[in-house]
Amino acid sequence: MTFRRLLLAGAAAVFATFGVITLVQAQSAGRQPDAKHGAVIVAQGTAAGAPPCAQCHAFNGVSDASGAFPRLAGQSAYYLTKQLRDFASGERASAIMSPIAKALSRDDIADVSTYFVGVNAPFLPLKAPDAALVKHGEELAQVGSAERRIQNCDNCHGPGGAGEPPAIPYLAGQYAHYIAFTLQMWRQGFRKNSLNTMGVIANKLDDQEITAVAAYYQQVQSTLEAAEAQGKD
Amino acid sequence: MAETLKPVDAVTIGVGLTGSLAALEMVQSGLKVVGLERGIARDTVPDFQSPAIHDELRFSIRKAMMQDNVKVAVTFRNNSSETALPIRRWESFLPGQGLGGSFVHWNGQSFRAQVADFVLRTHLIQRYGQKFLESCGPELTIQDWGVTYDELEPYYDRFEYLLGVSGKAGNIKGQIQPGGNPFEAPRAREYPNPPLKETYFGAIFRKGAESLGYHPYPQPSSNLSRPYTNPLGLRLEQCVFCGFCERYACEHYAKASPQTVVLPVLLKNPNYELRTSCEVLRINLDSTGKQATGVTYVDGAGREFEQPAEMVFITAFPLNNVRTLLLSGIGKPYDPTNGEGVVGRNYSYQTTGGPTVFMDESININPFMSSGAPGTMIDDFSGDNFDHSNLGFIGGQYVGSIMTGGRPIEFHPTPPGTPAWGLEWKRAVARHYNHTILIQQHGTSMPSRRNYLDLDPTYKDAWGQPLLRMTFDFPENDIRMSQYIAGKVVEIGRAMDGKIVVRGGTKRPYTTTVYQSTHNCGGAVMGDDPKTSVVNRYLQCWDVPNVFSLGAAAFPHNITYNYSVTIGAVTLWALDAIKNKYLKSPGPLVHA
Amino acid sequence: MTEVSRRTLIKATGAIGAAILPAGPAFGTANAAKPSGATPAATSSICAAAAAATTYVFFNSEEAAFIEAAVARLIPADEEWSGALEACVPNYIDKQLGGAWGAGERLYRGGPWQPGTPSQGYQLPYTPAELFRTALGAINKELSHTPFTKMSPDEQDSFLKKLEAGGKDLGGVPSDVFFAHLWESTLEGFFSDPVYGGNCNMVSWRMIGFPGAYASYYDLIDQHGIKLDRAPMSLAEDAHGHVHLNPGIPARSP
Repeated sequence: MTFRRLLLAGAAAVFATFGVITLVQAQSAGRQPDAKHGAVIVAQGTAAGAPPCAQCHAFNGVSDASGAFPRLAGQSAYYLTKQLRDFASGERASAIMSPIAKALSRDDIADVSTYFVGVNAPFLPLKAPDAALVKHGEELAQVGSAERRIQNCDNCHGPGGAGEPPAIPYLAGQYAHYIAFTLQMWRQGFRKNSLNTMGVIANKLDDQEITAVAAYYQQVQSTLEAAEAQGKD
Repeated sequence: MAETLKPVDAVTIGVGLTGSLAALEMVQSGLKVVGLERGIARDTVPDFQSPAIHDELRFSIRKAMMQDNVKVAVTFRNNSSETALPIRRWESFLPGQGLGGSFVHWNGQSFRAQVADFVLRTHLIQRYGQKFLESCGPELTIQDWGVTYDELEPYYDRFEYLLGVSGKAGNIKGQIQPGGNPFEAPRAREYPNPPLKETYFGAIFRKGAESLGYHPYPQPSSNLSRPYTNPLGLRLEQCVFCGFCERYACEHYAKASPQTVVLPVLLKNPNYELRTSCEVLRINLDSTGKQATGVTYVDGAGREFEQPAEMVFITAFPLNNVRTLLLSGIGKPYDPTNGEGVVGRNYSYQTTGGPTVFMDESININPFMSSGAPGTMIDDFSGDNFDHSNLGFIGGQYVGSIMTGGRPIEFHPTPPGTPAWGLEWKRAVARHYNHTILIQQHGTSMPSRRNYLDLDPTYKDAWGQPLLRMTFDFPENDIRMSQYIAGKVVEIGRAMDGKIVVRGGTKRPYTTTVYQSTHNCGGAVMGDDPKTSVVNRYLQCWDVPNVFSLGAAAFPHNITYNYSVTIGAVTLWALDAIKNKYLKSPGPLVHA
Repeated sequence: MTEVSRRTLIKATGAIGAAILPAGPAFGTANAAKPSGATPAATSSICAAAAAATTYVFFNSEEAAFIEAAVARLIPADEEWSGALEACVPNYIDKQLGGAWGAGERLYRGGPWQPGTPSQGYQLPYTPAELFRTALGAINKELSHTPFTKMSPDEQDSFLKKLEAGGKDLGGVPSDVFFAHLWESTLEGFFSDPVYGGNCNMVSWRMIGFPGAYASYYDLIDQHGIKLDRAPMSLAEDAHGHVHLNPGIPARSP
């Protein structure tokens, strides 16, 4: 597809932006976030030197199946805004994202967040899922672990991990590699922008459990879609 | 024919808070202990997980965590001239059931009592004179507890650190601390954890109360403000303000309960055995009637067993404690006609009910974001913190904004004048749901000769045993007290910029049809005099020294505050004496 | 237009846009001025369809007709929000009465029975199912010439108010006791989690702004006065927002 058609396709995918945005206090007072402007930043970057988000995250926020970059499509705008601001302030550390976030103004941040909220995009399935691993992950996600004294993930991350907007991001359909990586970052204290919460939980999980939970969540959406397509719920 | 089991050193009747504490102390002293719980075993994972636990119909309305009225209830009447009838569905109070008991689904409101509470009769007479006390109600049977606050302080401390209570000290060894409650009884040190984040309704109440010269402080909470490892090595987590606290269990390990602060250690101890779905019918006594030989119970399959034991701890919730004593023939039952006897005497409750404040519709309260102990409070009207000389009553209430959730079947306030149903009602609900603040008045309940517990002559439980009969109404003194404070609290509501303030205050007659409190109290009270108490200051039965009745059945009156932390303190105090004195030399610990 | 999962859209925007609704009766277009949830018009048409499709397991057709008409007066619809009828409250009541609660779950049923004081609460031998059946039988008999469903709304309100005031015996059930049960069940059906078959599409929760069964607010609690603007969530919904009904959840400790 030409770049222009990509842009138009993206714009067409953006819905009227209302709802969650009231919580995104961000920007210049009284300004409504502008998803169309967000799309431009995602596609082209900014004059201040922020590269296009699309370079890593793809224009539709699906990134790629490697899981090196998180899926952003449909993520809560409040959450994306908080992460970008935390990258900019250093509250969240990332050699890649920090300079990018610093180059974005607060209005830019609001705009790209709003853009990604409204993007509808496919969920890439888990390649070669290990059924036992996924089952173990499902148990941790829906029930928790009595021996480890860990509550289930869905308590906070929403039904099937679909997120509890505005503050808690979806995990359903997020890349297993990225989830596992992030849990390791929480465990080792390199990521710490969720007070007394994710660090605590990650420290209770062992490597096997992290892999299980990550695998489970990546396949939630695509598995559900397949089941619905076959007429079973 | 009951099967007789191998003897053990001790049995607890009930495995809730006091049953868990008693068992732990005893097994750590080398005793073999059996815990008999009427309900089933349950634990944070898998049983308390959300979203299933966040089911208002099941837990708040149908009361899934409570005793099952199909099997056992309580009969009730306001006074002796009426016939008591069964409480066929719990409403006013909700006795819990299941491993962990009511301490699983409590709200975590974690106050201490006041110094004066433990010597209430002496204190009131000293301050106001005997005549004044009489004038408040000649039928009131206020008495001292037989233990002092100073004796209990180290046990309060121990209990608060066991739970990880989150709060701000107001008085450390006599030094008033900024940010805390200046009226609180002196404590040795700070709370183990800082206070919870203040809610919006708490902040609004704070401003209003301060503007009138009162002294707001954060409510001490056993929903923890941060992760914490308790002295037993058990780890609790941080409360997320889910708004499903009372009547629900906590999915996050963030509420202090037997499951989070004691049971994982107790259940691993080889000296301890838990038996669930076991209904204790009675404590068995020897031929002298002065020594317990054990208990008789029926298991879930209907089989009857006799469990011999050297010691029996009754740890079954105040009402069940009293019932067990009556069914077992321990102690002389109270007779209201002549005032003789002690078992069932000095039953008291809690005096509650505050105003509703309708705010401007631009103010989003978001009551659904809350914990079980989210309040900002004042103690200016608690207990005897104000001069009662010209007021004609004794006792007091704490006042605070404590909205523990916004669950809609229970909470859909509409201003006075709104029709009870229909279109106007619906519109009013939509209009006011998110812009309304409830203020709680919560206070003392004075014991009266007319209020007592005994066995019902007519109604029985599923095991064929008589139900407990409750005869109770609020003493006039307590009504006067709550109405006086209600007038003061209306002023706070106005100072909060409330557009409509609907006055609170308690009325007579007491009704069992509306929830008020589950702080049933007394009936097996502690004291120095066997003529007016069932247990001594170590909660040991005067009549049968190897039986101990733990919990709030021992409290001769109900204090201003939620009594859970005081239960913990008094229980640990008693267990210390049992461990250090009784076990070395069984027999009466106090000679009357 | 690619398929959008309903969950994605609801989560993201807090609204049900017209684009994803199944074909059916007319719905309004997404109402940007009502950010707190599904547009009332959209909700009401989804729910009206669901309500009309109710399969009764307890109520016979005469009883169901009365209940439907009665709840429609107790919590009526207006142009802003659906009422109890569209919210499938009759379905909720039907499933409760046909299940364990209707059969006397958690009710002390022992006799003897005698009327008590108001402080002593409910003292009749009837289970909820027996109470409704008895009372509805008496009502429908009394109204056999002018059925409730044929009355004007004002006449219906008047009849309900008479029941509420008490003083009438409905085959053994005092009318105020019946009314109290009916009103309490209506409230429950309107405000409970939709897993129980009422509160269709969580319409009552959208109306008041109650976010539902997923409730982790640590990050938001100190943002005093914020407008929380997300669609409510049921304890029984999956990652696509589809609510899996289960009206028979027992009222027992887990």
